[in-house]
Order: sequence, then structure tokens, then C-alpha cells
Amino acid sequence: MANGFVPYHRMPEHKLVPSVRVYGPGVRLWHWANATMVIVLCITGYFIGVPPPSILGDASSSYVMGWIRFLHLAAGYLFALLSVYRLWLVFTERGIAHHLYLPAIWRKAWSDGFFRQIRWNLLLDGPVRYVGLNPLANVAMFFMFLLPGLAVIITGFAMYAEVVGHDSWQYFWFGWVTHIFGNTLDLHIIHRLAMWVMVWFMMAHIYIAVREDILSRQTVISTMLSGERQFRD
Amino acid sequence: MSKITTPNGFTLDNSGRRVAVDPVTRIEGHLRIEVNVDGGNVIRNAVSAGTMWRGLENILQGRDPRDAWAFVQRICGVCTGVHALASVRSVEDALSLPIPDNANLIRNIMHLTLFVHDHLVHFYHLHALDWVDVVSALSASPKATSELAQSISRWPSSSPGYFADVQAKIKRMVSSGQLGPFRNGYWGHPAYKLPAEANLMAVAHYIEALNFQREIVKIQAVFGGKNPHPMWLVGGSPSPINVHGAGGVGAINVERLALVADVAQRTHDFVSQVYIPDLLAIASYYKDWFKLGDGLASKNLMSYGEFPSKANDQSNASLRLPRGVILGGDLSRIHEVDLKDPSQIQEFVPHSWYKYGDEKAGLHPWDGRTDLDFRLGPKTKQSGDKIEALDEEAKYSYVKAPRWKGHAMEVGPLARLVIAYANGDRRIKELVDGALKKLDLPLPALFSTLGRTAARGLETQWAAEQLIGEIGQLVANIKAGNSATANTDKWEPKTWPDTARGAGYCEAPRGALGHWIDIRQGRIANYQCVVPTTWNASPRDGAGAIGAYEASLLGVPMANPSKPLEILRVIHSFDPCLACATH
Amino acid sequence: MKRPTTFDVLQERGISRRDFLGFCALAATWMGLGPQGGAAIAHALETKPRIPVLWLHGLECTCCSESFLRSSHPQASDIVTSLVSLDYDDTIMAAAGDQAEAIVEEIIRDYRGSYILAVEGNIPLANDGMACIVGGRPFKHQFDDAARHAKAIIAWGTCASSGCVQAAKPNPTQATPVHKLIKNVPVINVPGCPPIAEVMTGVIAYILTYDRLPELDNQLRPKMFYSQRVHDKCYRRAHFDAGQFVERWDDEGARQGWCLYKMGCRGPTTYNACASMGWNDGVSFPIKSGHGCIGCSEEGFWDRGPFYERLPDMQQWGIESNADKVALAGAAALGAAIAVQSAATVVKRVVTGKAYDKDSDDSPTS
Ligand code: HEM
Ligand code: HEM
Ligand code: NFV
Ligand code: SF4
Ligand code: SF4
Ligand code: F3S
Ligand SMILES: [Mg+2]
Repeated sequence: MANGFVPYHRMPEHKLVPSVRVYGPGVRLWHWANATMVIVLCITGYFIGVPPPSILGDASSSYVMGWIRFLHLAAGYLFALLSVYRLWLVFTERGIAHHLYLPAIWRKAWSDGFFRQIRWNLLLDGPVRYVGLNPLANVAMFFMFLLPGLAVIITGFAMYAEVVGHDSWQYFWFGWVTHIFGNTLDLHIIHRLAMWVMVWFMMAHIYIAVREDILSRQTVISTMLSGERQFRD
Repeated sequence: MSKITTPNGFTLDNSGRRVAVDPVTRIEGHLRIEVNVDGGNVIRNAVSAGTMWRGLENILQGRDPRDAWAFVQRICGVCTGVHALASVRSVEDALSLPIPDNANLIRNIMHLTLFVHDHLVHFYHLHALDWVDVVSALSASPKATSELAQSISRWPSSSPGYFADVQAKIKRMVSSGQLGPFRNGYWGHPAYKLPAEANLMAVAHYIEALNFQREIVKIQAVFGGKNPHPMWLVGGSPSPINVHGAGGVGAINVERLALVADVAQRTHDFVSQVYIPDLLAIASYYKDWFKLGDGLASKNLMSYGEFPSKANDQSNASLRLPRGVILGGDLSRIHEVDLKDPSQIQEFVPHSWYKYGDEKAGLHPWDGRTDLDFRLGPKTKQSGDKIEALDEEAKYSYVKAPRWKGHAMEVGPLARLVIAYANGDRRIKELVDGALKKLDLPLPALFSTLGRTAARGLETQWAAEQLIGEIGQLVANIKAGNSATANTDKWEPKTWPDTARGAGYCEAPRGALGHWIDIRQGRIANYQCVVPTTWNASPRDGAGAIGAYEASLLGVPMANPSKPLEILRVIHSFDPCLACATH
Repeated sequence: MKRPTTFDVLQERGISRRDFLGFCALAATWMGLGPQGGAAIAHALETKPRIPVLWLHGLECTCCSESFLRSSHPQASDIVTSLVSLDYDDTIMAAAGDQAEAIVEEIIRDYRGSYILAVEGNIPLANDGMACIVGGRPFKHQFDDAARHAKAIIAWGTCASSGCVQAAKPNPTQATPVHKLIKNVPVINVPGCPPIAEVMTGVIAYILTYDRLPELDNQLRPKMFYSQRVHDKCYRRAHFDAGQFVERWDDEGARQGWCLYKMGCRGPTTYNACASMGWNDGVSFPIKSGHGCIGCSEEGFWDRGPFYERLPDMQQWGIESNADKVALAGAAALGAAIAVQSAATVVKRVVTGKAYDKDSDDSPTS
């Protein structure tokens, strides 16, 4: 169990180095639970906006939109709770759990790594080994997962306030969001746009995870399962 | 300027005392009238200015043509729906999209409902106080009022007790010192001629009509969801028909049709037993007003025609009120009107607060522009923030000057009736001749202030009859198994041509209304409206020809120019709508 | 002279005490005031003189007036002649010109701080306010004068509350809603294009009865009428939950009264009482007649079109496309990048025999 913060650093290119414990069980559990929620939310959210073809028969015998929305709202709650849990893990689980929130952009190694990673992705250079989050991925996670994640939570609960009414705690805490735009249709659009940003993220994220796993002489996918980063030659 | 003769044959003299009426109230919107009176207080020059502008034509650019009806409907909430109707027709015309029979019937029903409602409200609530002295009603004998009422109509609410109650209400209001809407009226003005009993009867019906008018519009609520501003649909009507099957709640079903038929019948009764008798009774005391306020009426009249009896057919064989122009007062010839002929309908702006590349040119609405150019002329008189007198030699109104083949036109119920009359319509002839006979007046008496007011009433009677007929037709259609209400073939913009232009006509309560749309890549590239009150309230054009309001005021004598009751009478006879006129 | 109370006037008008109490109870029900509400209204109307109301018109379509006159409980004629003293309203007032304008001055003078100002339409600021001229002066000046000394201002309709159609892009006259121009006088927004008649009269009856302004939400709307969405009370909601939607106009679903969500219904984002109170004495409301809600009581609803798309254009942000179209373009670009990179990696590997140069000395610097 990593019980100190592991700072970001690059590993030498040629040596075989011992593996490093980067993720505790909490982050790993969070990652897969979170991934599941996000996928559920994207699917249900998509259909809230553009419902599937109509169901024939008596209205009382089906509850399609009802279930879609129930799943979405339930998963939305879990997603929000998981986000709080993930923040808490930064302090309890150490390792590199803080990289997600605090990219070490002030470190030369980080910024070098960032540009190095871009070069690698343009195939101008070879792949790199790190302890910690790959700096390019780190930036992508910040802008394409963390920020839209915050946006869906805020707009999500503001829309939830519409469902439960103006005397709800949701309205008390998130009613101001509605007021900024005046027209709550904007919340739906922002919420939906944020979803699409996360979908882009997932496309890139999964692709890169597989790619790095194959090419970068270090474990990536299994790290998220075992917590260990292992280096190969 | 002093004295000039306009190209359309009027003499203007602005040397006498200048009087401004602003705001002209009991109309829709913001209208300013200025006149010059000579030593005998006879009007010798008249200036009509629309003083409000919103820019809807510009706001529409770039929007989805299917949404346009909702925007333009908000041009006016008094003639609610007419712009929506002209708009969906313009889009359907551009896309060559026919609508189902039922949709045509539903539109006719909604539109006839508006005619009746708008005219009734105009008569009692916007126009009656020009003729009826509320304060004089206090001295009426309820018993004599009852006798008067029973002598002209079999309407049941006409007992002495009923009129005594109304009188007591007015008394209470007057003695409270809080007169509300009757405050500062021209009560006691020498131009009021009705006996006290007729005043009391009219006031009673003012209140009754105010309560009844909300019933009429329920018909629009059935088909359009609400009134004012019901819902419309490009390609048909949004309200589906489901009379026989399951789940028909929320569609047109047997209960909804019964509601509509019931309201239509009660509306018809109110019109024929209250409105028309009141109109004829009041008019009989003001026969001099069948000579005053002619203006363009005896010269140029125009109607686009309305109420197609066959869906998608706007020929005179189909239109229940015919399309056409009467020029120079020649009733023997009806000229054809073509909204798409670029040389027929044009708008000019030399005296309007807009600019054209070539100020002298007129633009057909397909090429129309609405570029604001607000500036007061050099001879404008102002004190502080207040305009005392406009400079009619410069730009002076937000209303454009529309012309048909260069001619200023009067539009409205009078134009429609006269054109239908000249076209030989049997029922219209019957109504017009009947009323003239009752009042013992010749046909030319129609070309006057009260002629307009009478024409509006007769048209209401006609519309109430048609309404019942159209509802019957809708039921017959449904009975015959026809239940389609919308054509969705071209609903999706991707099915449209890259460019398309259309013209939508409509006879609104106040007259000929046209919307012109230019669609490019599924979006509105240009949208122009030329509205009834744009015609009637038109300022001068480049050549100096004056519009209907200005013309109608000339020669009208005033008892006291500081209490401009006569101006209100003449102008109200057109039922002005300035939000429409300027949009 | 003692000013007659509203009830005095009603009584003189031949309305019995029983009818009067009936009206009060009905009004109370509409306002959601519960069983005691009727008695409270009755008491207020029996004891207070009529409040003067100035009703000004700016940039508007007069539809709000028209709607007001359609009120069934109370009836329009009762409000105008008995409940309040509607001393200035250019749509129905007898006076015109100077005599009409004098009324505004008289009311400000005689009832300073105790009259209600009702505003229909909004105030254009462009061109020194000359897009709306009343009595020869910019409407803005008439409005400022009347607003300054009012007890409260009622902003009728979406025009006065948030701008409405003339404030839609590009807002050529700089049409501005009432509350943005008012500092020290309470403003009540009663949005809707137009608002429901009984909502309008209900707001007035509430003020008269309780001698206080209704509780407002953060957009200054009376909570009693605007705290729930059309969607929350829509009778087609069961079809929404069941996933039964109108897919095309006049299809079987339309005839069966299914949900209009896919036809662009804005009920889920629109705060108004249409679905619960209904229009025109409860005869219908837009959805009941088969057309979706266009969100006419919401701020900026004109710029959230097309009305027939569930996902509107993002025109209000200066973008023409809608969210899903943007997303698809982004996803396609990303997909292409992934494909290119994978292909290039494979090509490079085939050509050089390796994907990277193991021998280059590129050791970490820290
Ligand atoms: C990854 C996270 C999420 C994604 C991708 C997502 C996606 C979506 C999408 C696409 C919609 C439909 C928007 C529309 O077209 O109207 C939606 C609606 C909604 N979402 Fe989310 N959402 C997420 C998280 C949340 C959260 C955290 C909440 C808060 C509890 C939430 C609450 C809602 C609500 C209340 C609606 C509106 C439901 C309705 O209109 O019936 N969402 N979501
Ligand atoms: C289902 C396929 C997925 C796979 C194979 C996968 C794989 C991984 C791997 C290998 C890492 C570790 C990267 C490293 O250690 O450098 C990681 C991290 C991460 N993944 Fe995923 N992931 C998946 C889905 C998702 C989804 C759907 C999301 C959310 C949208 C997500 C969000 C994240 C985040 C935020 C991290 C950073 C974790 C941290 O540092 O706390 N992943 N993922
Ligand atoms: N179109 C239109 Fe109009 C006008 N003018 C119609 O009758 O009033 Ni508001
Ligand atoms: S809010 Fe709508 S209905 Fe009211 S005046 Fe404005 S445009 Fe007309
Ligand atoms: S019709 Fe509109 S308001 Fe009614 S349930 Fe469907 S989406 Fe909601
Ligand atoms: S369009 Fe307006 S009238 Fe009601 S149902 Fe929607 S808020
Ligand atoms: Mg125009």
C-alpha cells in the first residue's frame, strides 16, 4: 500500500526498474465504479434527450422513460457521491491519487514530459515511462473529465430541482444555476454538451490506455486492476 | 407649405391651428394624429404617425420558417392569429405544400371566430364611447330604456330592473369619484346626440359584451389551445381529429365539437340580437356621420379575399369574400390583385423612419428592407422632451407607405363588403341593402365614418353565420371518414429546395394582410409584412399622395379642437392597430 | 366623503352577498389559499377603497390586455369596474391625448406611493427611447415618472418580465424588461405570452386581499403560479413516462393524445400554470390541443428555437448547430485522429521494424 504521496517522475528509458505501487484499492474500485456509472449515465442521458421509438399499448403497462430517468437519476447520485469519495481518497490513499486534481505543471519534468508525450503521439519520438499519470492524459482528464464532470453535477442537480420542486434542497443549493440562464433549457444543453465531451474523453482514453499498454513498456490497464505500475523492456 | 393638392386629389392646408392627439386611445398600439383646423374648426390638414417600432421583420432573419408564425403572431394580440395564418400560408406557398380539407376548415373556423370577436370588442369597447355618453345614462328612465330595448330586439335581458341595476352601478362609480376607465372622458360634449335611454342601453351592453366576448374565443381555444395567441402549424392544424377511436381526449372529439357548436350559436344570437340592433339604433341618431370621413373609401378599396371554401384554392370561385381592387370609385370593374407581381404591391419610405438605397423607389416585399432611420424633420416643434408638432415634409412615422400600382388604398370590412357587393354576392347584398333600407340611406352613405362602422357590424353578422356553416361542414367531413388535419410531407427542412419564395395572404379584421418570405437553405433570408393598418395609416409617399386616415379627416368639423371627439370617431371607424402597422 | 369599498360597489352592481362570497371562495381556490382564503378576500374587499391602477403600454402587442379581459373568475368587467380603479389604460380608456396624459400626473399627485403601476410591453432604450413615443415623449420618460412613485409594479407578460419577441436577437430597439430599470420599487413579474387571464387577475386579487405582494421566486415571479413546470402537471405525462410519443403530426400517437416531447414540447423547461389551470375558463391549453408548449413564459424562449426540435439551436450562444451535431462532428474528428495515428504507428513499425528508437538517449532530467 502506497502510504506517501508519490511525486510525478519519469523513469529511465533502458533500465529494468522495480515496480511501483501507484493506486490503492479505493482508486481502483472508484475507477471501475465510476466508469460504469458514466456509461450508464451517457446511455440513459442520451435517451432522455432523444427517446427511443414509441411503445405501443396502454400507457400504464410500460414505463420506459420512467425507468430511463430513474436509472439516470440514481446513477447521477452515485456518480456525484463517487466524486466526493474520489476526492477523499487523495488524502487517505496517497500514491498518485492527487495527480488527477493537481497536475504538477510547475515541475520541469512534468512539462518536458508533456511535450515529449505530444511528440510521441505525433510519432516524432518514442514512448516514455512514468511513475504517475501521463502528463498529456492528465490534462485531458482535467479538461475532458473533471470539468465536464463538475458541470453535469451542477446542472444535473439544478435540473433535479425542477423534478422535485422549488422547495427542495436541490433547489436551495442549485437554484442559482437556473437563475443565471433564466431559461432552464440552457441547462439541458450544457448538460448534454458536457456528456459529449466525456464521450470524446472515453473514446480517446480507452484507445490510449490500450495503445500505451502495448507500446510504452509499462503496465497501464493492469495497473488500474492491481495498483502496481510494472516496467518492461 | 400652406395649401397643396395631393396627387390623389386632396387639398391640404396647414396654415391654421395645429392640434395633436397623442396618444390616440381605444386602439391597439401607439398612434399620433395631428390636424390643422381652419377658422371654423374644420380639419384642413391631417398627419398620421405610428410612434412605435419593434423590428420583427429583422428579428425573423435566420430563423426556422416553421417557427415564423409564432413570432409574427406577436405582432398583434388584438387581431391574434391573423399574422400566424398569413405566415403558415406564406411558407406553404413557398414549399408548394397543400393542406388537408379539415385543416382549411379549422383555419376558417378559427379565423371567423376572430372576425366576430374582434369586431364585437371594437364596437363596444373601442368605438362605442365615441357615440355613447356614459354620464348621460344616469338620467335615463329604466322603464323607457326597457321599452326601447324591446322595441329593437328580442334579447331577453331587457327588463326595467335590469337597466335600473346597470344605472345604479354607473351611479355608484361616478359618485365614488373613481371613474376608472371612464375618467376624463368627453362627457357632455355637444357632439353626443343619443337620448339618455339609448346611452343607458348601450352602457348595459358594453358590460354584457365585455363578459360575453370571452366566450367567443373558446372556439379558438379548442383548436389552438388558448386565446389570445393560439397555436398553428405549417402544413395544417396541430389539433388532430379522433371522434370514433380510443384515446380521443385532447383531440377534436364529439365533446369538443359540441362545445364549439354551442359557442358559435350563442355568438350568432348575441350578434344578431344585441350588436346589430344596437348598431342600427345608435347609427340612426348620427346620420350626419354617414357623410363625414370618406377619404379614400369612395375611391380606392382593396381586398385579398378570404375564407377559401376549397382547400388550397385562392381563386374567387373558392374565396367566400372575393379578392380585388376597386379604383376611382368605379364599382363596375374589379381589378385583379397579384401579391407576387413585383409591380403591384410596393412600399415607399420617403416619409417613414426607414432608409432605402433609392428613397424614391418602391420595393416589392420580396425585396423589401426595414432599415431604421429615425430622425425628426427640421420643422419639428419640440418643448423639452415633448414633440409638439411633427414635420410632415420630412420622415414622420414608423408606418411605411404601401401602394398598389402606385395607388394609396383603403382596406378593411368596408372594402371587403363593397367588393363582395360589386361582385354580386347575394347574402352580402341582402345585408347591406337591408341595413341601408332600415336607416333610409343611399349606397354611397357607406363611404363614411359610420359606413365603416356599419360595414364592420354587417360583416360580423355574415361571419357568425359562416361560422355555424363551417362547423357543420367539419362535422360532415368527419362523418364522411375524412380525418386528416396535417400534411407532413415537407415537414423536414431537408426535403425543401435550396431557395424558395412564398406569399401568404389573409384578410384580417382590419383588412388586407400579406406576408412575403424568402427561404434559403432552410432558413429565413428575408421576411416582410404589409399589414392592413400599414395601408390605412400610411404616411405620404414620395409623390405626396396621402393615406386613408389622413384623407378621411379632411373636411371634418370639430366642435372644440381641444376635445377631439370627432377625430376619435373618424379614426376609430378604421379600428386602428399600430402594433400591426409598424411591427 | 368615505370612498366606497369594493364590496359596496359590487353590491350596488346587483351582486348579492352570496354571489360575492362565492366569488371570493373561487378566487381563493385559484390562488391556492385554502378554505380560510375566501373569508380573508371577502373581508379585504369589504373594507378597502379601490386601488388606482395605471396600466402603461410600451413595446408590446396588447395581447396581455386581451388576455386580462378574458378572465372568468373574477370576470373582466368586475375587475375593471369594481375591484380596482383602472384609471389609465390606453386600450379601453375613454380619454385620449392630453386629457389622457393628465390622468397619469393626477394619479401620481393624488396617490403617491399607493397606486399600482402595471406595465405591458417593455422599454426600448436605443435611439434615446424613440422607438416608442407616447404623448410626444419617449415612453421611457412616462414609465420613469409613473414608476418612481408606485407602490408596486406589475410587469405583465414575458415582454415586461424578460423582453419577449422584440428583445429576441438582435433586439433592434434594445428592448429592456421592467425590472432591469427599477431600483427602489418592488416588481412582480407575471410572465407568459400572454399570461393566463386568471393568473393576472389572481395576482391583483392577492395584493388587494392581503395588502402585501405575493411571495416571489428568484426571477420575481409569484411562487403560487410559477413554481411548477407545465410538464409536472401535464395530463400527457403518463405517456411521457411510458415512452409513448407523437412522432409525426397527425399520426396515431397524436390522435391518441400521446406526449409531444419529440415534437419539441418545452413543457419540461417551462414554469407556468397552463396544465393545471387551463386557458379560457379551462377549455384547453396548448398541449391539450395537440401542439407542444413553446415555453412562452420563459426568459429568452424566442432564441431557443426551432420550437419543433427537442434540442434547440444554440443560437443564443452565437452557434447555429445543436448539441448533438457538435458532438458528432467532434467524435468524427477524434475517430479520424485515432485511425490516422494507429495506421501511422503500424506503417512506421513495418518500415523501421520498431515503433520507437530504443537506442536514442533520452533519459529523464529530474
Ligand atoms: C456523466 C455524467 C452524466 C451524463 C453523461 C449525463 C447525461 C445526461 C443527458 C444527455 C441528459 C439529457 C439532456 C437533455 O437532452 O435534456 C441528462 C439529463 C438529466 N441528467 Fe444527467 N448526466 C450525467 C450526470 C448527471 C448527474 C450527476 C445528475 C444529478 C443528479 C444528472 C441529472 C440529470 C437530470 C435531472 C436530467 C434531466 C432529466 C429530465 O429532463 O427528465 N445527470 N443527463
Ligand atoms: C472501460 C474501459 C476503461 C479502461 C480500460 C480504462 C483504463 C484506465 C487505466 C489503465 C487508467 C490508468 C492510467 C494510468 O495509470 O496512467 C485509467 C485511469 C483513469 N480512468 Fe479509465 N478506463 C476505462 C474507462 C474509463 C471511464 C469510462 C472513465 C470516465 C469517464 C475513466 C476515467 C479514468 C480516470 C479519471 C482515470 C485517472 C484515475 C486516477 O488517476 O485517479 N476511465 N483508466
Ligand atoms: N393584420 C393585422 Fe391587425 C392590423 N392592422 C388586424 O386586423 O390588428 Ni392588430
Ligand atoms: S408578452 Fe407576448 S402577449 Fe404580452 S404583450 Fe408581449 S408579445 Fe404580446
Ligand atoms: S406533452 Fe410536453 S409537458 Fe406534457 S408530458 Fe409531454 S413533454 Fe411533458
Ligand atoms: S407555450 Fe405558453 S401558454 Fe403555456 S403551455 Fe407553454 S407556457
Ligand atoms: Mg413591413
